Amino acid sequence: MPLLSRALQALAVALLVGVSTFAMMRALPGDAAWRIAAGRYGYDNVDAAAAASVRAELGLDGPALPALLQWLGDLFRLDFGVSLVSGQPVAAELAHQLGASLQLALAAVALSLLIGPPLGVAAGLRPGGALDRALLVAATAFRATPQFLLALVLIVLVSVELGWLPAAGHGAARHVILPSLALALGLAATSARIARDATTEIAATAFWRFAEFKGLSRGQVLWRHGLRNVAVPLLTLLGLQFVTLVEGVVVVETIFGWPGIGHALVHAIFARDVPVVQGAALMLGLGFVAVNAAIDIALRRIDPRGAA
Amino acid sequence: MTLLQADDVAVFDASGRALVHPVSLRLDAGAPLVVLGETGSGKSLLAQALMGTLPPELWARGRVRIAEAEHDAAQPQGFRRLWGRAVAVLPQEPWLSLDPLMRARAQVAEAHALVRGLAPVAARRAAAADLAALGLGDEAGRRYPHELSGGMAQRVAFAAARAGGARIVVADEPTKGLDAARRDEVARLLTRALETGGGLLAITHDLALAQLLGGRLIVMREGAVVESGPLAEIFAAPQADYTQKLLDADPARWPRRARRAAGPSVVEGRRLTVSRGGRALVEGLDLTLRAGEIVGVSGPSGCGKSSLGDALLGLHAPACGAVRRIEGVARTAFQKLYQDPVSAFPRRRALGATLADVARRFGRRRAEVEALLARLDLAPALLARRPEQVSGGELQRLALLRVMLAEPRFLFADEPTSRLDPITQRGVIDLIATLAEEGCSVLLVSHDAALLDRTADWRMALGGHGTAEAAGRAAPAVALGAAG
Repeated sequence: MPLLSRALQALAVALLVGVSTFAMMRALPGDAAWRIAAGRYGYDNVDAAAAASVRAELGLDGPALPALLQWLGDLFRLDFGVSLVSGQPVAAELAHQLGASLQLALAAVALSLLIGPPLGVAAGLRPGGALDRALLVAATAFRATPQFLLALVLIVLVSVELGWLPAAGHGAARHVILPSLALALGLAATSARIARDATTEIAATAFWRFAEFKGLSRGQVLWRHGLRNVAVPLLTLLGLQFVTLVEGVVVVETIFGWPGIGHALVHAIFARDVPVVQGAALMLGLGFVAVNAAIDIALRRIDPRGAA
Repeated sequence: MTLLQADDVAVFDASGRALVHPVSLRLDAGAPLVVLGETGSGKSLLAQALMGTLPPELWARGRVRIAEAEHDAAQPQGFRRLWGRAVAVLPQEPWLSLDPLMRARAQVAEAHALVRGLAPVAARRAAAADLAALGLGDEAGRRYPHELSGGMAQRVAFAAARAGGARIVVADEPTKGLDAARRDEVARLLTRALETGGGLLAITHDLALAQLLGGRLIVMREGAVVESGPLAEIFAAPQADYTQKLLDADPARWPRRARRAAGPSVVEGRRLTVSRGGRALVEGLDLTLRAGEIVGVSGPSGCGKSSLGDALLGLHAPACGAVRRIEGVARTAFQKLYQDPVSAFPRRRALGATLADVARRFGRRRAEVEALLARLDLAPALLARRPEQVSGGELQRLALLRVMLAEPRFLFADEPTSRLDPITQRGVIDLIATLAEEGCSVLLVSHDAALLDRTADWRMALGGHGTAEAAGRAAPAVALGAAG
């Protein structure tokens, strides 16, 4: 049943994303034919003739409804169409960009999990201690800093001033560090707070106390009874953080020139490349459903109480 | 053989005030030691001082000899390595004491593995054997705590607490809020600890549990020992006045309440069927509750006692049948007294503020509240405190005061004293009885048969299978519900 409901949810997401991106792209000001022509031939080579030929080729003058229905129909045949700018199939472009984005996103999540929860648990074990108070300040600061600003600060500090890491690029492992750190710090700020609160709460429970009475050492109690219970709210948070992550990927990829789906989305919007925008938005929407379905299943395995 | 010897153990608060005056005691293998006392007598603090588990704002003094080693009660961190290895501490609330995300057997096995140092397979086997000895099979061992009944959770916690090899079992109020059947089960469980030369220290206000355990007895009051000696002797012939008062507070020794002529019907149920979660708990019940009458309701946990009362109050819609309440009376004259008074008051508000709201709602003057305070033997200073800052007995009397502000015609008292010690319990029940004498109709739920026998005009036992049986001294105004 949960899988069926998730599948229905995915369908609804696909429809909503498809229709709303279509409507938004149509509502954007400016002449789409000129923008697409500029994307294809370069801004210096655009003239009225080129725009007219693009308009005729893509049927941009036609009514909106048939265009929408056609796109939805193509979608159900898993045909994402062809990029209006590059002429390449959207599916192939997205597959390539999605890989790059996933690489960045996974690195960011992994890094945030390495930074946030361990600090949060350590702070939660001594609420009111020096670490706890320092972490509260740091987490608030990082959570409140917009990702573009954080990314720029990192570039200025680490790349320009210190010269330790490249400011942009893709391919080598050192290229992934700064963009993923820019994403991870914001994520870690939230997960540290959640882990901290969950830890204080669990360390005050009767079962924590009883585990100590059984003769387990502090470390054993934390390892066997604490972490599993802390993991439940953290996993739930991870599902929600996917939204932050998507939003961050768009910004961070653009700043660091990372060839991912967010980068592609931003360029496609500027170039009015509707099929690419729709394809990318759809991928992100479906990704959200998939991540949350996976987290549901994982939570059910860890915490059997909700299953009844 | 002496397992534990305490010499002059005392407990102080941060300001240096003595909460427990120096106590010496000895725990022998095979013989239970029961510490009896009312809430606030310091019996739990004494036990915590012996185990090194006092809250950090309190401190202890004295010497405790456990397992051939001497420990200083002033240094609680020295006791930590005794936990599980020499001293098994039984939890008060076994359900909450098991990790909700770990299967029952694993919670026992981990103590075998990590405390006794058995290999994982051997630890699992030992845990399964422990549980089997307590009547829990493989299937029960694979369950998560939320899938266990209260009794099963108690047995799992017992096995887990002792798996580290501890010979001394310390149980602090192990029967709080339990019905008679569960209490007897806990008593049997505790005596098992003695079978293999173990020791048992039980801290309780439950006279019946104390009697079931036997052995030696220490009676405490206001942080000092009132009387000590063999339990059977003290129960038969107490020397101290306080002990006598404590024993007299046992409902089995109460005098019977004088019966009065019942007034007109206040609440009636006709062909009443009450269900929870789609399961019929009470079926086809006819009953009439009259002014000035106390009706006792008993029955095992989950048999529908609370649901029946809620249905009569109109808080829970009956699945079938009708409830008729006396006409021309405000809905607020139908009141409820809850089992756990702490959760019946707003947690972060001063009690006085809560009561002032209620008084305003019913147009009662401040002087009337003060008169009621005096009548319920409550100090006005309590009103400045929050619910958790007063004792359970005081809070339950404040809850009664709140009910009385509404001038109740019907009171549903849902196990109002199951968390109170005997002396406090008697005080609260006496007040409820006074309310009935003034013409209120009372439906009193309790798992204590003796209490109902002494207090109620007639009684009703719910069977848990949709049946109800009436028993009483007077002709019951009840037609028995159809069975099944």
